Amino acid sequence: MSLLSAPEGKAAVRGIGIGLRARHYREFLDSHPRADWLEVHSENYFGDGGYDLHVLEHVRSQYPVSLHGVALSLGSADGVRTAHLAKLKRLADRIEPALVSEHLCWGAIGPRHFNDLLPLPYTREALAQVASHVMQVQESLHRRILIENVSSYLQFRASELSEFAFLAELAKRSGCAILLDVNNVFVNSVNHGFDPEQALLEIPTQAIGEIHLAGHCAAGELLIDDHGSRVVPQVWKLYETACRRFGPVPTLIEWDTSIPPLDILLDEAAMAARVSQAICA
Amino acid sequence: MRDLAALQARFAAGLDAPVPDTGTQDLFVGESEQVRQRLGIYRGNAKANAAKAIAAAYPVVEKIVGGEFFSGLASEYQSRFPSVNGDLNEYGGAFAAFLVDFPPAVEIPYLAQVACLEWRVHCAHYAADPGPFDPARLACVPPEHQLLLRPRLHPACHVLQAAYPIARIWEVHQDTFSGEFKVDFTGDASYALVYRPRFRVEVAQISNAEAAFLGEALDAQTLGCALAAAQLRDASFNLGRSLSEWVRSAVIVDFKLNGE
Repeated sequence: MSLLSAPEGKAAVRGIGIGLRARHYREFLDSHPRADWLEVHSENYFGDGGYDLHVLEHVRSQYPVSLHGVALSLGSADGVRTAHLAKLKRLADRIEPALVSEHLCWGAIGPRHFNDLLPLPYTREALAQVASHVMQVQESLHRRILIENVSSYLQFRASELSEFAFLAELAKRSGCAILLDVNNVFVNSVNHGFDPEQALLEIPTQAIGEIHLAGHCAAGELLIDDHGSRVVPQVWKLYETACRRFGPVPTLIEWDTSIPPLDILLDEAAMAARVSQAICA
Repeated sequence: MRDLAALQARFAAGLDAPVPDTGTQDLFVGESEQVRQRLGIYRGNAKANAAKAIAAAYPVVEKIVGGEFFSGLASEYQSRFPSVNGDLNEYGGAFAAFLVDFPPAVEIPYLAQVACLEWRVHCAHYAADPGPFDPARLACVPPEHQLLLRPRLHPACHVLQAAYPIARIWEVHQDTFSGEFKVDFTGDASYALVYRPRFRVEVAQISNAEAAFLGEALDAQTLGCALAAAQLRDASFNLGRSLSEWVRSAVIVDFKLNGE
C-alpha cells in the first residue's frame, strides 16, 4: 500500500492542533502562535487564488497542515462528485498537507447538494459503497485519508451494524485511517442512548490517526454539535479514555461558531496537551 | 438491491418538502413526534448553510433591503435554485437573475444590478493570482510595434455596464465608507470596474471610454484596437495616463508580445 501512505518529506502531525478560521488569519500572518499544527476546511480553499490561499500557503510554510473536507459526500449512493474530488486534488497538490480527512456521511444525491453532514444507514450495502468511494479518493490523491464519525440526530431503522462497527469495517476494507471525534461520540451517545465508553472499544486501535475535540450545545434533550463553546467535562473524560486506549494521537480543537479570541483556542489546546501527556507519558 | 439510493432519495425529498413530514418518518428509529423534530434540525441546517452563503456574497443587497426582507429573498431563492455544489462559495450566482423576476424585489429597480456587481466582487475574491510582471521585457519592443501589444488583465477584473450608478451604490454601503451617503441617480448608463490590487477586491466607477478599452483588453485585443474603441467614445482618452494607472492598480498585469 505504498501508494496510499502520506507523501515523503511532509511535516508530520504531532501533538495538539487547532482549526484555523478567517477570524484568526491576521494573528497567523503577523506572528507565530504556539500551535503544533493547523487544520482547515478544504472547501474554503477551492478558489483559483486570492487571500484565503495566500494565508494557507503562509501557514503551511510554518506549520503542518491538515485538510478537512466537509462536502465530498462519500456516502452518496450515486458516487463521488468528480468535480469536487478534482478540486480537492488540486488543493492537496498545491498545499501538500500532512493529513487529508473527510466524514462518514452523505450530503448530495442527484443534482442536489444539502451542504450538510447527513447520517448514513449502517448497512452492508452502504459499507460496500462507502468503502469503494474512499478507495477511489485515496487512489486519486495517492494517499491514505482519514474518515471521521459524525454527530447525528436520527438513526435509520435499516441499520445492520453499529456506527463504530461500520467505521471499523470501513477502515479494514478501504485501508483508510479513522478520525475519531470524541465530542461526536458523546453527542450521539446522548442523542441515541448508548454507552460512549463502550463505543470506543469498537474502534480498532491501529486505525486511529487523529482525534477531534469540540463543544456542543443542548436543545432540550438533544445535543447539537455546534462547535461553538469549550469542550465539556464529560468529553474531556471520554478523551482520557481515548488516550488510554489509543495512546498519543494528534488531537484537534475545533471551533466553528461564535469563534472566540485565539487565546481561548490555545488554552483548550493546552488542556488537551495536559490530558494527553498525563496519560501517555 | 439499491436500497441506499432509494433511502437517500426519500430523505432528500423530505428535507426539501415545503412542509415537514412527507412520508420519510418511517425511515427512522423513534416516536413520530421526536423524529419529526429531529428531521426539522436537518431541514433547518440545509437552509441555514445556504442562507449564510447568500448573505456572504450579497452584503450590499442585504444592507439595502434590510435583514428581514433579505432572509425572505434568500429563502425564496433557495427554493427556486437549490444548492447543487459542495463548494458553497459557488452558490448564489443566479441571485441577480432571480431578483429581476421576483415581484417584491422589483420595487427597488437597481437591486438586481447591484447583485450582479456583488457576484463579480465575490468571484474576484477567489480569482487566480497573476504571475510576475517584468516591464523590462517590453523595453525591446520598437515604438512602432507597441500598439500591437495585447494588455492582459488580472483574472479578477470584470467590467459591468448598468443603468444605475452601481459602483457608487456599492461604495456608500461599504463598512469603511465615511463620506456623504449620497448617490446621484440622474446619469444615463454607468460603468463599474471590479479589480483586485492585491487581496482586497475594489470597485471603481469608470468612463464609457475606459469601459470600452478594458472590454477590448478582456477580449485579448491589441492596445491599438482598445485605444480605437476608447477614442470612439471619447476623443480625449489619454492612453499613457490610463495605462500607468491600470498597471499601478494591477488591472493590467502583463502585456503579451505579438505572437505570444
